[in-house]
Amino acid sequence: MDTEHTYLDETDIRGIATYARIGLSDAEVASMTTDLNNIIESLRPITEYDLQGVRPTFHPIAGLANVMREDVLKPGFTRDEALANAPDVLDGQFKIPPILGGESA
Amino acid sequence: MNPTKDTAGNAPEADKAKERASKNPGKRAGENNNMPLAEYAALNIADIRSALVAGDLSALDLALAAQAALEHLDEQVHAFVQPTFELAQTTANEIDSHNVRATGLAGVPIAFKDNMNQQGTRTTCASKMLANYQSTYTATCVGRALAAGALPMGKLNMDEFAFGSSTETSAFGPTCNPWDIRRVPGGSSGGSAAAVASGMVPVALGSDTGGSIRQPAAFCGVVGFKPTYGTVSRYGVVAFGSSLDQVGPFGRSVACVAATMDAICGRDALDCTSQDVSFSYEQAAHAGTEQGIKGLRVGVVSGYLDLPGVHPEVIAALQGAITRLQQLGAYIQEIELPNAKAALSAYYVIGPCEAFSNLSRFDSVRYGYRRAGADNLGEQYELSRSAGFGAETIRRIMLGSYLLSSGVYDTYYYPAQQVRTLITQDYERAFEQVDVLLTPVSPRTAFEFGEIADPTQMYLSDIFTIPINIAGNGGLSLPVGLGEESKLPVAVQIIGPQFKDFNIMRVAAALEATYDIQRLAPLVQEEHRRTAALRPGEKSAAPRPDAESKPKAHHDDTPAAHDTRLDKTAGEVQ
Repeated sequence: MDTEHTYLDETDIRGIATYARIGLSDAEVASMTTDLNNIIESLRPITEYDLQGVRPTFHPIAGLANVMREDVLKPGFTRDEALANAPDVLDGQFKIPPILGGESA
Repeated sequence: MNPTKDTAGNAPEADKAKERASKNPGKRAGENNNMPLAEYAALNIADIRSALVAGDLSALDLALAAQAALEHLDEQVHAFVQPTFELAQTTANEIDSHNVRATGLAGVPIAFKDNMNQQGTRTTCASKMLANYQSTYTATCVGRALAAGALPMGKLNMDEFAFGSSTETSAFGPTCNPWDIRRVPGGSSGGSAAAVASGMVPVALGSDTGGSIRQPAAFCGVVGFKPTYGTVSRYGVVAFGSSLDQVGPFGRSVACVAATMDAICGRDALDCTSQDVSFSYEQAAHAGTEQGIKGLRVGVVSGYLDLPGVHPEVIAALQGAITRLQQLGAYIQEIELPNAKAALSAYYVIGPCEAFSNLSRFDSVRYGYRRAGADNLGEQYELSRSAGFGAETIRRIMLGSYLLSSGVYDTYYYPAQQVRTLITQDYERAFEQVDVLLTPVSPRTAFEFGEIADPTQMYLSDIFTIPINIAGNGGLSLPVGLGEESKLPVAVQIIGPQFKDFNIMRVAAALEATYDIQRLAPLVQEEHRRTAALRPGEKSAAPRPDAESKPKAHHDDTPAAHDTRLDKTAGEVQ
């Protein structure tokens, strides 16, 4: 696939990465720009349809009703189980760095 | 174990046990653990059931034979990222001490794709992000397989978070195709397909979002089945595309796949999209071999074989299958799927959008990889996610992030959902005319490592499987022999109407019976010749063939990339 199509430039890519909480190096921004432009070009058939009046399908099984259940209390994870895979724990709680502060605050 | 799945009409357990004891006086469980490799590797579920009933084998014999097979073969194949031999032996001992039943999956060695939670194991999704993640609960599909008596041999390699068609995106290095270790096994459930094709386990579970069961099954010459969306609970399976994902089995035969389906399918209160299943897959397959398919209507899709890039061997395989179906008395009818051509585009909108949403949970706070040294929380998210995710995962997240952004949503996301309606209607119309559709699985046979580097080219390997996920139907990949020139497995796909997977089972079993094809990769025989019998812990002294040609992981951005065992990543900041 050629790379002439420019739906996105590097500034767009940086913005998308920020939104997705992904840090990219300059080299990664460059290759991601090429890749995403190619992929977006391959999505073109979607934009070429006349879709007036066509309902959307958000879920593959049509005609189902909501499944309801009684709101019954039942045991879930213990605190220890919930914290078992946490990278950092303090006093039985998830520990994170400051929400504010640092260079990018 | 689930006694309601007993379709064999067997005598009560007590009689069985007595019968077994009298046939094999003095024999204890675990004594028959020197089963020859080729003998173990050829066992299917029916063989295992009758051997257990006759007392010729115990569940522990099978667990030990499977362990030995792994120890002999997996160094070449690298299907497993985490063997669980102790769990298998514990389960086997429980089965043996409770009297063996010839039902369900009793004594059947099984392995699970590593996106399925199983308590007592790590569930890594073949990602550095989850390299040390310990499952705190068990996925319903895994739990049901174990409740049916299956022996859990381990967790299987995959493309990272199931993004890929080759296992090359696994952070732990790729799996090799057992038919030719210079080639990919397909993906994303490549480990599952390779484990079955190399005889290490008779069945395995995988998941399929755009072809991730059917394409690797085709590349490795085993049966792979994606049921109708909603048939198997997704609870506890790490989500990729929630409206597309479906769990399903790999097996040595249609009967193996059907028996596994009976164990894992059906409604689960923990997945509100799961549905009751009112028929037995095993009985449906049995009907195919016993009653045949005379009068059934099989659709072939107009223009599918004229698409660019469809290999002559794939075309020949499909035409051969059509002839055989006609000989079995089926009617062949041409079917139009005018919107199938837009399925790939719709998929690469819907899939990445759902993946972007699902993968936002990896915040490096509650679980997952954390990169140390961030000054604040926002920086920690960015550092951890970019270091924890591989290149293809980041690409899909970025694509989803873009497609869901304001303004772009109306150009791609919403229209893709409308196109999804049109594609689904195509299938609804098709199944007013026919009982099943017959198509290729993949446009080609297994490719070499590194052969497809362009992501958009890689995406094309799923053109025949993706439309089925878009529409939600079931599809089965049936091996039909080796390509004349390539000598690699080729397969056909059988697709059924939603929630009528019994059509698929019936046709697949009938068609399968017309082929006399090699089931196991040649590497099993080669290894068998080197080793007279299998004993766990003993390995053949012979060097691995083509050891130099085994590809190395190509993800230089992940420090774990060159480790093939997860333990080696322990000690990093998770």
